[in-house]
Amino acid sequence: MRAAAALAILSLAVGAQRILAAAAPAAPPAGAGGEWRMPAGDDAATRFSRLQQIDAANAPHLRPLWTFSTGVLGGHEGQPLVVDDTMYVVTPWPNVLYAFDLTRPGYPLKWKYRPDVNADAIGESCCDAVNRGAVFADGKIIYNLLDGHTVAVDAATGRRIWKTKIADVADGETTTMAPFVVRDRVLVGASGGEFGIYGWLKALDLHTGRIVWTAHNLGPDAGMLVRPGIFHPPYVSGTELGARSWAHGTWKHGGAPVWGWISYDPKLDLIYYGTGNAGPYDADERAGDDRWTSSVLARRPEDGALVWAYQFTPHDSWDYDATGAMILADLTIAGRRVDALVHFDKNGFAYTLDRATGRVLVAKPFAHVTWATSIDLADGRPVVDPAMQTGVAEGNVKGICPSLEGGVSPSSPAAYSPRTHLFYTSTNNLCMDYAASRVSYLKGTPYIGVTSPYMAGPGGNLGAFIAWNGATGRIAWKDPERYPSWSGALATAGNVVFYGTLDGWFKAVDATSGKLLYRFKVGSGVVGNPIAYRGPDGRQYVAVYAGIGGDWALLAGDTRSDDPTDVRAPADFIKDIASRTSQGGIVWIFGL
Amino acid sequence: MSPVQRSPRNLRLRRAVRLALPGALALVFAGSYGATPPAAAPVAAPPVAAAPVAAPGVRNPAHLAADGMAPPGPSVRNPYHGNTKIAKAGAALFTSMNCDGCHGGDGSGWVGPSLADGRWRYGGSDAAVFRSIFYGRPKGMPAFGGVLGARGVWVLVTYLKSLPAPPDVPTESWRRR
Repeated sequence: MRAAAALAILSLAVGAQRILAAAAPAAPPAGAGGEWRMPAGDDAATRFSRLQQIDAANAPHLRPLWTFSTGVLGGHEGQPLVVDDTMYVVTPWPNVLYAFDLTRPGYPLKWKYRPDVNADAIGESCCDAVNRGAVFADGKIIYNLLDGHTVAVDAATGRRIWKTKIADVADGETTTMAPFVVRDRVLVGASGGEFGIYGWLKALDLHTGRIVWTAHNLGPDAGMLVRPGIFHPPYVSGTELGARSWAHGTWKHGGAPVWGWISYDPKLDLIYYGTGNAGPYDADERAGDDRWTSSVLARRPEDGALVWAYQFTPHDSWDYDATGAMILADLTIAGRRVDALVHFDKNGFAYTLDRATGRVLVAKPFAHVTWATSIDLADGRPVVDPAMQTGVAEGNVKGICPSLEGGVSPSSPAAYSPRTHLFYTSTNNLCMDYAASRVSYLKGTPYIGVTSPYMAGPGGNLGAFIAWNGATGRIAWKDPERYPSWSGALATAGNVVFYGTLDGWFKAVDATSGKLLYRFKVGSGVVGNPIAYRGPDGRQYVAVYAGIGGDWALLAGDTRSDDPTDVRAPADFIKDIASRTSQGGIVWIFGL
Repeated sequence: MSPVQRSPRNLRLRRAVRLALPGALALVFAGSYGATPPAAAPVAAPPVAAAPVAAPGVRNPAHLAADGMAPPGPSVRNPYHGNTKIAKAGAALFTSMNCDGCHGGDGSGWVGPSLADGRWRYGGSDAAVFRSIFYGRPKGMPAFGGVLGARGVWVLVTYLKSLPAPPDVPTESWRRR
């Protein structure tokens, strides 16, 4: 009975979707205009601003114009929003939401929203109590509270419109990602790849917050919303792929969290998002490819149906989450125009995919890679060095690059400029040893099982900011950084690219050459993502958070000053970071 | 005998824990979950106040008491205090209970605070550390009293208190020598 009703609703939904697809308006121009309404500025996740008042000639004259302390110490990932001359800022736990009036001198607060967020969520977060931002839609600011709730707040008044429990902290689920909105669907996922969760993506109704569909990223087809005739993965076929690729039903605690970024192609009516690592870190406990961990999934927003999936790292044995941004760009590859999806993976390869089918077109390393020699374009699989395979039986495997912090952190999304046709991203130059150990699943406690010290990769610098050609798979230019580079990127039509460093420099560089144009020390390491917007005065501004964190390896323990009962030796791979920065929580606005 | 230790879930976990641990610790657990609880284990009446006896070098062993008057309560003592064999078993338990997932290998600190720096957020006496593990603490320290029972928690306390606290050097210097 219930099944029949569900089928009827489904066919209605499918019909409605066909009509919508037929009437779909032309895609808006790439990038963000005067406002910044969603995490990456546009549906394609380009983090490109069409503003061009700040250019390579005048960027050296940039200066800081305004700062605000959020009152919270902790990793300030994510980015502000600017809508209707108001700037919205979400803090790490306890997830305060501030609304600044940009039309008045000093940008006073219009209001602030202080939700009641369960402090237990801090300990159920693997790495830090971060928040990756909010999204604006239908007059609402929508974001996730760390303790497994999504809230919608009236953008004008700060009053809460709805609040929905989407995840369970007691199961090790926390909610750090920025929601994404397609039409009247709010898409949200949960972190917990270190707590053995059964990863999923949910769609909530924009107007009520009601959960419309839940799609798991692994396990049986029914839970994954895999439907006959709709799901066409490019390199594999068959049913129950998400369950049969795991030994002994280990998918039940297999992870595949969703804590990164979502993008949307209105023409294909598909959303794209990456899934996190497989759990536990001891890969011997889950023989098989462990689908669809460390993968990109393409779904229909209306009913959640899975359309295709591609796994970057089968049988993830290195904690290579694929939660980094899936950037949609129209590229010309070997003379052919392609609707592409470009992704910088933790595993050190950058992938250019056909976003209609999921087939790999280009896959080349953007960081130093030792775990695999290449990606085989015939079957889409990495050519893994057997000596780099980890697991309890393999003992302490040494010299794996990249480290489990990734060739780039998924928290540090890349940008794409349709002007230069280049992608811009932070990178890390870290390698690791990996000694796996057996673990037992205990609900609500970490499900990890590894000891993995890090060391610098070749060259000694721990990071770099690079420009990447997604059509050829080559680095266009590279700015080495002393420390791992952990901020997101912003590209602008003024041909200036912005990013921040872990030791607290905010930088503007030339998009074509990488030449440093301007830098300013912002008080704490930058792990957030710069944005650009047009102020009420018609001028272009750039905003960014300063606030090191997001991963305790970065903090190295000794960058903290707020807890006298927790003192630690500096991490040996990044010994002197505390001599250059400490925790913070500051919003910065720059302009000419 | 605490009813929580008899639940089927706990039986399963006890089995898992036994399998995960070396023989010596399994013996400890056999004692812990046996029909007759050892007299020293305060399982029936959870401790509400520590005997304010500080081990040497432990700072802030208990909460401040208003007007200097500590509230009355059952005295709590670690039945394994100073037992090196139990401490070793506790090191294995620290891993198998996933404590290292938050507090780092050897308790050296990760997203949870270091337990090896000689400094304690909620008091460093055996009894205070027992309370932290048995009942949990704010900001996400789960209560392990249900899954481990008092004996198991004391094994962990004995391990943590066996970690040699480094000399307390409050200065970190980057000056060139």
